[in-house]
Amino acid sequence: MLTTTDPPPVAPGAAATGDAVIETTALTKTYPGGVTALNALTVRVAPGITGLIGANGAGKSTLIKILLGLLPPTKGRARVLGLDCDRDAEQIRTLVGYMPEHDCLPPDVSATEFVTHMARMSGLPAVAAKTTAAESLRHVGLHEERYRAVGTYSTGMKQRVKLAQALAGDPRVLFLDEPTNGLDPAGRTAMLELIARIGAEFGLSVVVASHLLGEIEQICDHLVAVEAGRLLRAGSLTSLTQSSQLLLIEVADRTADLAGELGRRGLEPRPSGRGLLVPITDESTCDVIRDAVADLGLALARMEQRRHRVEELFRPAELAATPAMPATAETGVTHAS
Amino acid sequence: MPTGVIHDLGYQRYTGDRYGRAAIVRTLAGYSLRSAFGLGRGARAKIVPAAVFAIMSLPAVINAYVVARGGSRAFPYDTYSYPVRVVLMTIFLAAQAPELVSRDLRHRVLPLYFARPLRPADYPLAKLAALIAACLIVLDVPLLLLYVGTIVGVHGGAAVWAQTTALLPGLALGLLWSVVLATIALAIASCSGRRAFAAGGVAGFFFLTWVLSEVLGTVATSPGTAVVASTAARVAGLVSPFTLLDGVRQWLGGTSPGVVPDPGRLWGAGYALLLLALVTGSVTVLVSRYRKAGAS
Amino acid sequence: MTSIELRGVSRWYGNVVAVNDVTMTIGPGVTGLLGPNGAGKSTLLHLMAGFGEPSRGELTVGGAPAWRRPDVYTILGLVTEGESAYAFLTGAQFVLASARLHRLPDPEAAARRAIGLVDMVGPMNRRISTYSKGMRQRIRVAAALVHEPEVLLLDEPFNGMDPRQRLHMMDLLGRLGTAGRTIVFSSHILEEVAEVSGTIQVMVAGRLAASGDFRAIRRLMTSRPHVFVVRSGDDRRLGAALIGRPAVRGVELTPDGLRVQASDYGAFSTDIARLARAEGIRLRELLPADESLDSVFAYLVA
Repeated sequence: MLTTTDPPPVAPGAAATGDAVIETTALTKTYPGGVTALNALTVRVAPGITGLIGANGAGKSTLIKILLGLLPPTKGRARVLGLDCDRDAEQIRTLVGYMPEHDCLPPDVSATEFVTHMARMSGLPAVAAKTTAAESLRHVGLHEERYRAVGTYSTGMKQRVKLAQALAGDPRVLFLDEPTNGLDPAGRTAMLELIARIGAEFGLSVVVASHLLGEIEQICDHLVAVEAGRLLRAGSLTSLTQSSQLLLIEVADRTADLAGELGRRGLEPRPSGRGLLVPITDESTCDVIRDAVADLGLALARMEQRRHRVEELFRPAELAATPAMPATAETGVTHAS
Repeated sequence: MPTGVIHDLGYQRYTGDRYGRAAIVRTLAGYSLRSAFGLGRGARAKIVPAAVFAIMSLPAVINAYVVARGGSRAFPYDTYSYPVRVVLMTIFLAAQAPELVSRDLRHRVLPLYFARPLRPADYPLAKLAALIAACLIVLDVPLLLLYVGTIVGVHGGAAVWAQTTALLPGLALGLLWSVVLATIALAIASCSGRRAFAAGGVAGFFFLTWVLSEVLGTVATSPGTAVVASTAARVAGLVSPFTLLDGVRQWLGGTSPGVVPDPGRLWGAGYALLLLALVTGSVTVLVSRYRKAGAS
Repeated sequence: MTSIELRGVSRWYGNVVAVNDVTMTIGPGVTGLLGPNGAGKSTLLHLMAGFGEPSRGELTVGGAPAWRRPDVYTILGLVTEGESAYAFLTGAQFVLASARLHRLPDPEAAARRAIGLVDMVGPMNRRISTYSKGMRQRIRVAAALVHEPEVLLLDEPFNGMDPRQRLHMMDLLGRLGTAGRTIVFSSHILEEVAEVSGTIQVMVAGRLAASGDFRAIRRLMTSRPHVFVVRSGDDRRLGAALIGRPAVRGVELTPDGLRVQASDYGAFSTDIARLARAEGIRLRELLPADESLDSVFAYLVA
């Protein structure tokens, strides 16, 4: 009989102390020439995985430079892990791992060599840098390809190398700028899973800057939405995607019949896209719907509790309206491959 | 009863020592010094440094042969490899200065460095230290070879001491050359991320100033222009770093004939000041460029 | 109404077969061109734009080949990958130049209209060098729309745009498609493709893997059971009841709900409400788990 010992319990995700990972107070940066990249930005980033959306290029790069202490703010203050960005910049830089948006890898070195060098640039001694680099490359999923020159890599592999160099310095917080840039759907899924795993299991806080609301909703615990250099909204994903007390019902056909029946049973359905939106009056609403569908012998394709979406921050449209599908005939063809 | 264990391969924090900024900068300099000789890159990267070093060492090798045959030292220490050394250093710097700075500019690696615990100004200074060291190796190691090849053929402490006292100024001059040339070359190379432009800029600057200085010097020494000639020759010497360096050598007391005539006390001091200005100017350009890159 | 027709189109560069025997018809409306990196999407768009000749097969735009036909550009607008735009021009000048190059009768008006469509009227008199990535993309779309082309080809058009700009551009493309223009855009962001239009063409390693509405494509994959997530008042009991039904292939209890594999989509959908009621179990949510474009795409390229 085999007995096994379970692996030791995973260290709790982010410190549950509630200390802000990043904190800015009325942070403002104006460049000569009048461009205001940040406008009295006041925000608190909690531990965990936080999405940063809506910041355009100038705002993002200005913010990261101020946080790394490379640029002084025009007004206001910023702190990272409790350290002041102006005074303690160098210490902050030992604690932050940064993955830039743009290509930043020299093509003629191997991933191993590059990540090891970057680990040494983070202050790790030679041997520790080697082993930490090897581990980082393992965590991001690069195997024997790590010994080849980076110039031969696909976009997905290059993004992983960028992530590995950010991890290899043993940071406490990661700043990932558009990590899925240029990746195809499979690559995006893999990268998002990796980031989610890092946030959950590695004990690091992660800030992901992205324009893609879908992926923010998928992996982030918190959200900071910025527009034109100032804070648009900040909060936890759960608070921003709360239920809207509406049920979306889709049946294969005879939607109108269902609407009539639900009306007769005291609900107020209204058409939406290919189905009906029904306000939830109380606990029994879904039972009424279930019974109506069963009685009419309808094929139930979807019953979904509508939630608010992050998209609403940027499009104050009626929640009820799902975009109308174009009136093209729905045919599909799969080609034998 | 058989047992088994599953080992925890999860993410582990690093709990050992971390080096501070000084050590990191030293590491960067060491890494760059290796790159200056093509170590850690492919074979192609080693060709130019290896060839330059080989040709620079050739006189020392020949000397060893001569001494073994019973002759005396065949080449001077302080003007070792003149004037070929001008060509060799131009080639070396045009090839390797871009390797150190243009490459990182081109591939936009700098943000990764700036996000680390070193200051933006540390980066160019580390690269500069590396290039100076590389030039020093190329210039002074052959001198040491010359020295070693010679003293195996001499007898007596006095003779060895004589060789040593002759060697030391040569080594010092090698250091002076390294500092001046590396600084200027790096400042020029840092203007472009494209290897070809940077190399062209470095080679162009050293080559053109050298040619110009030669031309002016030839004009100055044409017969029949005695007094004006010496001033003109001294002015010609201002144009190229190589002539400035040689002029300063003679100002400092070097007596072997070189590539320019002796500038004399006053002009020699002027040469030295101009060199100082060139070096400080180049360093300022370098540091301010990278400080801006960090903040922009 | 102009359509793009491909019949047996292949394109190779030496030994690299970028496009391999593709036959498709793209009609009015918005079509998403999808595929993993290197699948041949850019090459296909190039061929459609008349930038290359098919090595084999026929490709026509509006009935005539696009290759070597300069006047195809009166009906075709193109937004390529990358960010090429003359940085020293203002946005307005750039679009105006495009209008003039198309020899439009009233270039200023056309330019103004196009700039209005992409919502760039405010910054239009600033130099393009001051624009953000998203703004540059929008001005390039304006330049491509200035002659009101019947056909619009876009390679990753949302690249660099922030959420508001994305939503705006998606709306614009949707509207143009509904108005009858033929729009093809390639993208990796499947949720956006699904929102603008469900019509897709999927390329895998140079071949055309699937065409049409992605929901219908999903239904064609009969060998793959449909997966649903059911959340109820008593998942375990409902699961036990479901596994007894012939339409159900498998049932899995997860913290997220009950995952049901239905080998017979129609029978399961008709069954579920009745079964829940018979067992007295409250049905809270029923969500198709693999009908999204993400799932369909993953199945196609697997």
